[in-house]
Amino acid sequence: MLSLQHISKFYQVGGTRNFVINDISLEVEAGEFISIMGPSGSGKSTLLNIIGMLDEPSSGYHYFVGETVHQLKDKQRSALYKKYIGFVFQAYHLIDELTVYENIETPLIYQDFKSTERKAMVADMLDRFQIVGKKDLFPAQLSGGQQQLVGIARALIAGPKLLLADEPTGNLNSKQGEEIMQLFKKLNKEDGVTIIQVTHSEKNAEYGSRIINLLDGRIESSKQL
Amino acid sequence: MIRNYIKTAFRSLQKNKGFTTINVLGLALGLATCLLIVFYVVDELSYDKYNVNASRIYRVNEDLKLGDNKVQYAVCMAPLAQTLKNDFPDVENAVRLKRISGMHVTKGTESIIEDNVLFADPSVFDVFTLPVIYGDKKTALIEPNTVVITEAMAKKYFGRLNVVGENLIIDGNLQKPIKVTAVIKNIPEQSHFHADFLLSMSSYPDSRSTEWLRSDYNTYVLMRKGADYKKLEAQFPQFLRKYSGGQMQQELNMSYDTFEKNGSFFRLNMMPLTDIHLHSNLTVTGELGINGNIEYVYIFSAIAIFILLIACVNFMNLSTARSANRAREVGVRKVLGSARKHLMFQFLAESTMVTFIAVIIALAAAMLVLPAFNHFAGKNIVVNSHTLIWLAPSALIAILLIGFLAGLYPAFFLSAFNPMQVLKGKISAGFKGGALRSFLVVFQFSISIFLIIGTLVIYNQLHYIQNRDLGYNRNQVLIIEHAFELGDHAKTFKQEIKQLPGVTNATLSGYLPTTSNRSTGIFYKEAAVDPKRSLFPQIWSVDEDYISTLAMKIKSGRDFSAQMPSDSNAIVINEAAAKFLGFTDPVNKIIFRSSGGPNPTYKPYTIIGMVKDFNFSSLRDNISPVVMQLNADNSSLSIKVNTANIPALLSQIEAKWKDFTPVHFQYTFMDQDFDAMYRSEQRIGTIFIAFTTLAIVIACLGLFGLAAYAAEQRTKEIGIRKVLGASIATIAGMLSLDFIKLVCISILIASPIAWYLMQKWLQDFAYRIGIGWWVFAIAGVAALFIAFITISFQSIKAAIANPVTSLRSE
Repeated sequence: MLSLQHISKFYQVGGTRNFVINDISLEVEAGEFISIMGPSGSGKSTLLNIIGMLDEPSSGYHYFVGETVHQLKDKQRSALYKKYIGFVFQAYHLIDELTVYENIETPLIYQDFKSTERKAMVADMLDRFQIVGKKDLFPAQLSGGQQQLVGIARALIAGPKLLLADEPTGNLNSKQGEEIMQLFKKLNKEDGVTIIQVTHSEKNAEYGSRIINLLDGRIESSKQL
Repeated sequence: MIRNYIKTAFRSLQKNKGFTTINVLGLALGLATCLLIVFYVVDELSYDKYNVNASRIYRVNEDLKLGDNKVQYAVCMAPLAQTLKNDFPDVENAVRLKRISGMHVTKGTESIIEDNVLFADPSVFDVFTLPVIYGDKKTALIEPNTVVITEAMAKKYFGRLNVVGENLIIDGNLQKPIKVTAVIKNIPEQSHFHADFLLSMSSYPDSRSTEWLRSDYNTYVLMRKGADYKKLEAQFPQFLRKYSGGQMQQELNMSYDTFEKNGSFFRLNMMPLTDIHLHSNLTVTGELGINGNIEYVYIFSAIAIFILLIACVNFMNLSTARSANRAREVGVRKVLGSARKHLMFQFLAESTMVTFIAVIIALAAAMLVLPAFNHFAGKNIVVNSHTLIWLAPSALIAILLIGFLAGLYPAFFLSAFNPMQVLKGKISAGFKGGALRSFLVVFQFSISIFLIIGTLVIYNQLHYIQNRDLGYNRNQVLIIEHAFELGDHAKTFKQEIKQLPGVTNATLSGYLPTTSNRSTGIFYKEAAVDPKRSLFPQIWSVDEDYISTLAMKIKSGRDFSAQMPSDSNAIVINEAAAKFLGFTDPVNKIIFRSSGGPNPTYKPYTIIGMVKDFNFSSLRDNISPVVMQLNADNSSLSIKVNTANIPALLSQIEAKWKDFTPVHFQYTFMDQDFDAMYRSEQRIGTIFIAFTTLAIVIACLGLFGLAAYAAEQRTKEIGIRKVLGASIATIAGMLSLDFIKLVCISILIASPIAWYLMQKWLQDFAYRIGIGWWVFAIAGVAALFIAFITISFQSIKAAIANPVTSLRSE
């Protein structure tokens, strides 16, 4: 599904290159659940952003669902991204001015779904996450766990093949975190969504099928569970 | 999708109530002010346009130069209108108007003085658009002793509208019944002349005069469709030579050629009807009413644009500043798949929505204050369906344009964010675009400071005009009008008034510095017609109490005296006349007047005194030569009073008046008349100050918002500094300093521009103030002070906040 070959990301500082990602090659098959770990500054988030096409590598080759990403134009990349990828953030990043319902609906608007279709899809998603009762609340009225639930619902609404999560439980207490991880596992198993998550937690990492350890921009180890 | 945008926009506006209020109100205030000025300007520009043929109507003006004397008239010779019609096929029609002020109209036993009485040729209906309600406009003004009145007058005198065939007694002396032949609609406010009564020209014997050397009639020409008035104008010199040449030879004993060779001339020119109100100011010589001034239209248009700019800049600045808070939303939307154009559209839609609300508020506010504004500006502006024809589309354009401009920067700036950086908080502090914002603040304050300086200069100039030593004393002078009603008893009346306690002096003369009663004549230095050695002054008929009553100062020589019978051939001139004649001491010099005709005789006049120059027309103009001579002119009686109890004195005088005549007793005070002369200047000054204040308020609203925003942006920094031991004063100072710097730059930019433009404005006044450095100092200090107050409120608020909360929130 996804293939990174010799991907590097660096910043030119004076005469020297500061590598954030240093020659990483990675293959991801559909249906995998990968956890990326590593200390702060090891390049986890940057790698995730490159996979999610929100950031561009300085060099290397990037293939995704058969497309040569590094050769695509911005627009095509954006179209590809819209169609296949969903994003979950540590800080949830819900739009404060929109209700739960509207937040979940927003990606559909950008993908030009018709109003009736949107209604059905959002209703379905609210039902599935059991947050129907909260659909008219604003993010500020929800707990952190609930907000992240909405964030995941929003990421999944358009039916992505790949879910990227940047420390999705980082702002949650352990119980809420566990619920989210259970949800991820279920999504991966039952719906076949490929998941790549960045995490600090050893325990959360073990929900995945593979753990990749980064250090100073390189893959230090990779372990199949 | 649009619904989603509107929802977000609306909720985001609701969330930041303070900002939204400042933003919307600031913009609405600016727009409302702007709208009022637009109303004013549109009203000024709409004069005489009610005439269907407005674009083809011209007034014929006359320029006269005699030696070094130059005069411009809004009136022409009696035979001109008919002759133009006969001689030039391009002239479709022509009409003469002749205004007689102070006509009496009898209603029952009462005699009412009407000022808007005009004699008019029957063609007045063909040239001007005067809709007739009753009567036949084809025949209405042909017969002598017929009159056309407006509906207002019909109601006033008869209490009903259809009064055709009724009689009116007009002019107390004649007591002749005048037949009403038609009732017309009231002449619109936006007309350069106002007539309530149109008397048939055939009732006015002088109208049949064939004199080509005397100008008394406002003459209007209706050109044929497609005819070029310039072509007609080009034929005027030849035309004038043809008709006035013979009379000149006869009257002045001078051929037209000699006349022209002396450098004198006689010219006719055509002024488009629609230019009269704003471009013609020949008040002394024959305007039918008080006209406006195009300069004020320009000044106010400029202020309107300034205010609009300030308000828009505010709006832009605040929107942009606030939009940095929404960087996160932009990031999220981008991650969720929003294209850049969607985001741009979103921001534009949002600012358009805010503008829409502001425009609605502005419209409502403008309507609300319109009556007050009318009162202020001396206007009678009404908003009707006619206004809506231009107002509705302009409001729509304003909404779209301002909305677009204000949303432009956030739209482009924010939509270009890299979402990952924004979401990580790297740009969230983003008080970026600071340079642009600084530029806009400087721009705003430059305009405000410019307006402050402008206001100070205008205010000072007006103050100067009103308090200047005018060369006469206008205080405590009571003017009894229409003293000619007393006929031969005027002198007796004057003597009896002078006996009353509380009366210091009294003089019979209509030639007062504050009235428009003027006449002119020619004097020669030798007993020969020689325009090069001539004086073309105003000739004022006065009596021997005139100079003392008005407290004018005799520079040399003496005043007229009742004890000197020879004074009937004596004259007193002003300094300007002496200067014009080239006399350093004019006393006892003799100048001459010609009797006219083929073999003229010359009457010598001895100059017995020179009076210090006094102002008698607008202080925009230099004082022109005046010659006073002893002559009976009973137009009005001016009384110098010296009593605190004016009402008592007035009733005494009125009782005396009633002994002499049944005509209504009417009086004014000279200082009030003087104020009336400068009322338009006064009004302009007041409006100017009001608008400037608004401009500054709007600019400050913007600064207030920006300061609040800057403080909010720097909460964390403030917190850290406080933890490190900074005092409230240092922090407030630090926050204020940024803005104060900008205001200082504005002062530097605005001062020279203001100096230059105000200097130019002052050039229009013959008597003017200089612009002192203190004007700039006051403007600068005021701007700094206002800005500082505005900012420090926010700065201090930020500075006294508890650092623990601000640091934890990060």
